[in-house]
Amino acid sequence: MHLEGEFTVAAPRLTVWQAVHDPALLARCVPGCEEAAQIGENSYRAVVKAKVGPISARFTLVVDIVEEEAPDRLRIKAQGEEGSRASMLTAESELALSDDGDGRTRVTWASDVNLSGRLGKYGLGLMKKKAESLSAEFVTAFSRRVETGEVVE
Amino acid sequence: MSFVLSPRTVEEAVGLLAELPDALPMSGGASLVAMKNARLIEASHFVSLAGIASLHGITATDTGLRIGGMTRHAQLAACDLLTGDLSMLRQAAGQIANRVVRNMGTIGGAVGNADPAADYLAVLACGDAHVELTGTEGSRLVAMTDYVTDWYETLREPGEIVTAIHLPAARPVPSVYRKLCRVPGDYATASVACASDGDGVRVAVGACGHGPIRSREAEAALRGNLRDPVAIAAFGAALADLADPVDDVRGTSEFRLRLIPRMVAAAISDLEGKR
Amino acid sequence: MPGKQVFTLDLNGRETEVFAPADATLLDVLRDNCALRAAKRGCNQGVCGACTVMIDDVPVRACLTMAGACGGRAIRTLEGYGDDPVMGRLQEAMNASGGVQCGFCTSGLLITARNLLAESPRPAQAEIRSALSGNLCRCTGYVRIVEAIASAAEEVAR
Repeated sequence: MHLEGEFTVAAPRLTVWQAVHDPALLARCVPGCEEAAQIGENSYRAVVKAKVGPISARFTLVVDIVEEEAPDRLRIKAQGEEGSRASMLTAESELALSDDGDGRTRVTWASDVNLSGRLGKYGLGLMKKKAESLSAEFVTAFSRRVETGEVVE
Repeated sequence: MSFVLSPRTVEEAVGLLAELPDALPMSGGASLVAMKNARLIEASHFVSLAGIASLHGITATDTGLRIGGMTRHAQLAACDLLTGDLSMLRQAAGQIANRVVRNMGTIGGAVGNADPAADYLAVLACGDAHVELTGTEGSRLVAMTDYVTDWYETLREPGEIVTAIHLPAARPVPSVYRKLCRVPGDYATASVACASDGDGVRVAVGACGHGPIRSREAEAALRGNLRDPVAIAAFGAALADLADPVDDVRGTSEFRLRLIPRMVAAAISDLEGKR
Repeated sequence: MPGKQVFTLDLNGRETEVFAPADATLLDVLRDNCALRAAKRGCNQGVCGACTVMIDDVPVRACLTMAGACGGRAIRTLEGYGDDPVMGRLQEAMNASGGVQCGFCTSGLLITARNLLAESPRPAQAEIRSALSGNLCRCTGYVRIVEAIASAAEEVAR
């Protein structure tokens, strides 16, 4: 499924660029994120729990930054498995930052997510709705934390 | 302890659910056991509601009808009390799945699960129904139009069960349930419940968002204009504006948005034909 | 994971004790513990009808029925119809008319058809088709099955 969006943060581009590299900050913004850690120069590991009605899933994700042009553009690949359960998640995302005047930064993002296994069968239509609402939650939390200066240097 | 627990009273059932946080209530099991078989859900126990006498049966009350949560689709599909503006409920029940599954599935289970594409939600929203939810603190009534809050999310708290559906007494005016589906018995691609209401109509659209879609404002604007195709088209468009359909195997979001005004107009004309 | 437990079932007129996983469905128990394999595991979702059995004289899906919810209820599978002449007629008619090809759907169809004849001894074509709407057959195209049920009903009524 394809997701995309755009939002503005009231912070300079460099601050936002640092924020998207900060696993501790991101972990606090991603809904359902239970832990996140840097495991390599450009590699991160995260455990994320998601729930749709009676169905819940916990994915262990490995997130790699595969391309970056500081402080403008970032390409990320994520791969995850659902513990012993039979679901696999892969996502390829792109993030672009640009100055929006007055010290504001515009973030444009797009993501292609693939879900296979027991959850893939469940219906991507619904998963997309859920993903969209999770993205919106992330954007709200991320903007607020960056704007209030909660960036860990 | 057994995996399936079979309490005999509502108090016992909600007590078990409070005591066992990973237990799930089971009424007919038609959806719950299918989800278990597909390994979509995990539970420590199923608390079966089938043996609770007070959840069975349809009774007349001071204000209308009380339909016990364990009432099977097959019973509703054959229920003589569902006449007039409640006949849409009978029509909807008879279109769920197939005859054998209708012997199993219940209205309480369907409302508890709140599958957006299932048949009852639109009918109950159109019929001004209230959901009776019971937990350890007692029972409360929630209007069906407020009940569904997000995709598969409702005002029902984890320890609560749907003990009954309350409907106003049947009025002798026509009602209709229209369902578009790929084959008979499938979940709806889109559905419309429509009941006469004086010189107006009550309408709810199903399967086109996380919950049933109803607009009292749009209904008020249509009042007195039921023969005006422009007013009916505007009414359908207003409901489509409130919709948020998914893209899935049953149809794209765009297809569903186009269906809504047409199905609404068709349902209103069905009613005009029945007057 | 839930462990195992003993289930006491009223199965084809006999009280039967089985030791099976506590979260087993009736279909699991019938097939895996009781060696009653007429009911088939098709979709395991209640759609295909291959696992249809009777509980308290009502046709239900064994795959959607928890074994632990069957206590005190009378379960009848196709194997329990050995002495039922109407079922015998239905089986013969299915054979004779070519209503059986791969056979996977047949047991479920027979239970559904037997229940139909109990409710309506001389069903019209449309009634038969409506009754069968919850039993999928991927071989025959249904025509032969509908014919078989109609001819068995004729014979029984005669």
